[in-house]
Amino acid sequence: MMKTHCTDGNLTKLFFCTVFMGVVLTLGGSPAWAASQSSPWGEAYFPNIELVNQDGKTVRFYDDLIKGKVVAINFIYTQCGDTCPLETASLRQVYKLLADRMGKDIFFYSISIDPEHDTPKVLKTYAERFRIGSDSGWSFLTGSKADTTLLRKKLGLFRDGVEAGKLGEHNTSFLVGNESTGQWIKRSPFDEPKVLAWLLGRSLSHAKTDRKTELASYAKAQQIPRISKGEDLFRSRCDACHSLDDQEGLGPGLLNVTKQRDRAWLTRWLKAPDKLLAEQDPIALELYNRYKKILMPNLRLSDADVEALIAYMEASSKAAGQ
Amino acid sequence: MNWTTYLSHWDNAKKQDRNMTGKPQNPGLNPPDSINRSAPAMTADKPASSMAVARCKGQDNVSQRQRGLFETRLAADTDRRNFLLDPLLFVTAVISCYVGGTNLAHAVFNIPTENIIPPALEPVPVPSPLCINGSCATPFTAKLVLFEEFGLNKMSDSAPSASSLPSPTGCQDTPAGQALDSFLKAGLNSVPTRRSDKTDAGVDISTPNPWEAQVRTCVDWLAGLPTYADGRPGGEDFAHQRWGEFFTDSKKDNNLAWFQSAMTGARVNGGLRDNMQLHNYQVGEFAPGGLYYLDADGDGEPGSKGLEIKIHPNLPTQSTNSVWTFDGTLPPKLLMACYGESILFRHYNALPIDIAANNGFGKNTISTHEHNGHNPAESDGFMHAYFYPGQFYDYHWPMALAGYDSINIGATDARTGAPDGQGGITPVRGDWHETMSTHWFHDHMLDYTAQNVYKGNAAMMNYYSAIDRGREPANMEEATNGVDDKPGWACHYANPDNANLCFPSGSGLDWGNRDYDMNLVVADKAWDQNGQLKFNIFNTDGYLGDRITVNWIYKPYVDVRARRYRFRILNGSVSRYYKIAIVDQTGKIVPSWMIANDGNIMQHAVPFPNSASAQGAWPEQGIAERYDMIVDFKGMEGKSVYLVNLLEHKDGLGPNKVIALSDALDPAKYQALVDKGNGDPGVGKFLEFRVQAYNGADLSMNPADYVEGKKQMIPLNKPSTAELQNAVQRTFDFGKSNGTDLVPWTIKTDGGSGLAADTHRVSAAPTIGKTEIWHIKLGGKGWSHPVHVHFEEGQILYRGGKTPPPWEKYARKDVYRVGSLPDSTESVDMAIRFREFAGTYVEHCHNTQHEDKAMLLRWDAEHPNQTVAIPTPMPDWDGVKYDPSVYLPTAKTGDLAAKKSFVLPK
Repeated sequence: MMKTHCTDGNLTKLFFCTVFMGVVLTLGGSPAWAASQSSPWGEAYFPNIELVNQDGKTVRFYDDLIKGKVVAINFIYTQCGDTCPLETASLRQVYKLLADRMGKDIFFYSISIDPEHDTPKVLKTYAERFRIGSDSGWSFLTGSKADTTLLRKKLGLFRDGVEAGKLGEHNTSFLVGNESTGQWIKRSPFDEPKVLAWLLGRSLSHAKTDRKTELASYAKAQQIPRISKGEDLFRSRCDACHSLDDQEGLGPGLLNVTKQRDRAWLTRWLKAPDKLLAEQDPIALELYNRYKKILMPNLRLSDADVEALIAYMEASSKAAGQ
Repeated sequence: MNWTTYLSHWDNAKKQDRNMTGKPQNPGLNPPDSINRSAPAMTADKPASSMAVARCKGQDNVSQRQRGLFETRLAADTDRRNFLLDPLLFVTAVISCYVGGTNLAHAVFNIPTENIIPPALEPVPVPSPLCINGSCATPFTAKLVLFEEFGLNKMSDSAPSASSLPSPTGCQDTPAGQALDSFLKAGLNSVPTRRSDKTDAGVDISTPNPWEAQVRTCVDWLAGLPTYADGRPGGEDFAHQRWGEFFTDSKKDNNLAWFQSAMTGARVNGGLRDNMQLHNYQVGEFAPGGLYYLDADGDGEPGSKGLEIKIHPNLPTQSTNSVWTFDGTLPPKLLMACYGESILFRHYNALPIDIAANNGFGKNTISTHEHNGHNPAESDGFMHAYFYPGQFYDYHWPMALAGYDSINIGATDARTGAPDGQGGITPVRGDWHETMSTHWFHDHMLDYTAQNVYKGNAAMMNYYSAIDRGREPANMEEATNGVDDKPGWACHYANPDNANLCFPSGSGLDWGNRDYDMNLVVADKAWDQNGQLKFNIFNTDGYLGDRITVNWIYKPYVDVRARRYRFRILNGSVSRYYKIAIVDQTGKIVPSWMIANDGNIMQHAVPFPNSASAQGAWPEQGIAERYDMIVDFKGMEGKSVYLVNLLEHKDGLGPNKVIALSDALDPAKYQALVDKGNGDPGVGKFLEFRVQAYNGADLSMNPADYVEGKKQMIPLNKPSTAELQNAVQRTFDFGKSNGTDLVPWTIKTDGGSGLAADTHRVSAAPTIGKTEIWHIKLGGKGWSHPVHVHFEEGQILYRGGKTPPPWEKYARKDVYRVGSLPDSTESVDMAIRFREFAGTYVEHCHNTQHEDKAMLLRWDAEHPNQTVAIPTPMPDWDGVKYDPSVYLPTAKTGDLAAKKSFVLPK
């Protein structure tokens, strides 16, 4: 016997409840509706705060953004000099993998924690830098500080009182979930894009399946490639924005970069791009302007890491040249 | 924190506010100071000592909140106005602290755990109600429920069954109890095979999911796709390793046993296992009139039939979607396993097809890990080898001693064996130094381990051997000579040539007596206003319940005899640590001895109280750690003895401090604080032993004869100096990593970048047969991590750079606590060997919330020169596909820098 809360005594609720039941029984399964009334993570849990998206449209968090949907939510601020651009770039890779389902049953929401600076217009510019268009299923949103803080708390993405005044210490975690099944999983935006695409497109989405994720049968399962430290770094940090050939991405293609740039400059750039920019280094400024003012993040690499990266890029260019 | 520090923090905060401008001129070029990561951070500090401090900690946050409000309401040049208003805010804050101090401080103890929020804001943690509809649960009024044995069947004795797993009637349902019991009672309905997809001759043996019809109505995208009954990934990589050695023709070898169970929703116990108990309710304390005889429904037939899942008799029954456990029933389940008798565990998933039918927590796909069995990887419960409702997974637990391939291959060593059922010893291969005792098995599903284990996916497992037979002598004759042809019963304490250590157990059965050998799982729980188990899936720092249970019962009592007992104590919480003291009713510590640590019988028994452990209590016990303790209740008839927890938590990040024993016991002291909302409800007494008279002769071993300097139980098998010098060394940093990878709970391997769990990534690839040294470090203060390494035991070489304390010096472990509390340290260095089985294992933090939030690594034990990948299985309703895996660059060589600087112990 299916449990029901239809006997709350509220007639309107009863009416809709009956209709709901009827539909459910007809469909005979678990439809893609909002979380059931017995779920603790439903309408009563999530704050239905008002947010404005990058096109100036006002939406409500629960009703419009998450109810009945598979979503990925992260919190950003556009002035962030280190992790946010990389986070956005990494998520963009996931977004590309799920392209035909974005905006239909899968939605991404990047919500600003700096509402004073991040107006809808600023957010739109930011999104465009990363080549994320309107109606793409990926919204950039802003709301009042109090509201977004409440939301972060409810989602478990807020560290205690320390953070209320400071922007720099926020977590870069993000959350994926399926509101109708009540599943909410905290992940990292730096997880392998394929893994996140699987999670969002297949594991969490039970109405549809994503046949695009290429998985092998056992017979075709490949050997584990051995990769150098430099390659590991490149794959986990750089390839969201850069390619190793001459293709432009969010950042320049890096074919022959170790030849083009003075070694000392390149080393410094990889180690502390924000400093070079602050010093108004001409190359840094030129790159910044050319690539739509997307900040090259300071990744806190050690000297050994930087060396390894440079060696890897050099070797890769050499191999390409042959 | 004193007033001076507080004020200086306040000053810093003000400075930062002033620096933060509303509209910076050049956003990219001149990032405002407040965004600059190098600016001094106002860290959340943990009050180091007194309670008075904690009361006013709330102050900080009141004023911050006020600041926050001003910021949102006023314009960009707020700062000046804030500055002017500061003194006013300050005064308000001080006053509100004294006036509302208690309320503010209440929310400092985040138990049951809400999402971490500044105190003084909602939600304030809601205590789990002890009175519901006028019916109240009070401490020490509910009788402890003892574990119920699964019971093992011999492969050769069992007739196959023709039935299939009964199907539920809807997408949110579980199968009906009676039908399920009938099914589980019968034999296996298919012969276990090496591969799940094909026979060795290449014949396809897949059959559809027995719930197929129902699944297809619930999962509409399955149209046109196949389903499978066997949830184990196909192919060679997940085929049972060395199947032929441990499982041969069932007619030829009597040494394969099997059992089956279904993970399903809470229901009334139908008596499924009532006649599967070794003692059969006829022997010793389990016989009628004995202390542990059970007739749950009072119908005159012994057994647990009729037992419902209630955390206390006066609290409501748990509903089907609240608790998911083995068979769906209480008592909690226990596997009685013997070395040399391989076990095939067929685990059915009988959970609801609809993921959402879970009362808000728990996942209906599962993967079962036998905590530290020496098991092949495909049967180790890899977190990504999970299976779906309707399916089963055959776990193969060979019950082979480590060293099987290299030591005592002829099975001639007299100490290496298992009980033969008739007082003798069946010899087995392997190294007797590796003999294990207390284990448990539980869920290991990616992203959901905490939720599933908390929800009930856990059982215990006792390993029996010639050494740890679960039999004590009935008389001195037996103790010395073993009587007739029963050498297995003779005790080591009478003659060192005898294998049996004769721990407190019983003498009615040949082995596996549980009269005076008790399994106890301690776990904190929380429930909602309807008494239904609840959990917070959004708090990823750790979840603490406010009610301590033992074997699922809230603060129970249990009768014991006035003699020695062995208690196998498991910390089955998901984030809580314990520091347990055993006291009599006057509050005085009762002497006890530790004989096994993490299931490893030690070289010497360690007496308690001792100077190395605070408050005379047992050592801090992290999640999944097991301590086997011997307590002697002799001379205490008519009295009560209590277990008391002394370890206070404020939140799930880790323990906060040890409470003095006298304070924990005095209702006017710590309990008064808890009543005001200013303390941890998990501190205090949680189990009562009521001592009854004993008219028998206690001839179990006396642990005082086995302490340091006296007899030895199992000498520790230290790696040789040569082995250590040649060992590959690896460093694993647990904690928040720094820099831009601000992903909480990452593991940094060999000084590399912090990594979150990615089941495709291979972080370490030790070679089989080699010893390695692993440095486990705490990568950030303020957290505690019980780090767990699968498959192999390690010996701690250094704890915090020093010799480990006695209970670790003489033991091997599989959970290594790193943290900031007295019994933890910020680093542990241990030596570990890899043998027998190759494959994919994990190492992770066993604060299961941390684990789910990606503190997991995957490492492969590889044969030398092996380069074939172990691909990652990607299961779904329509079968398991594979995904390629990726190595870390240091996977083979380890941390060369650490190796240079590490000094081997003498």
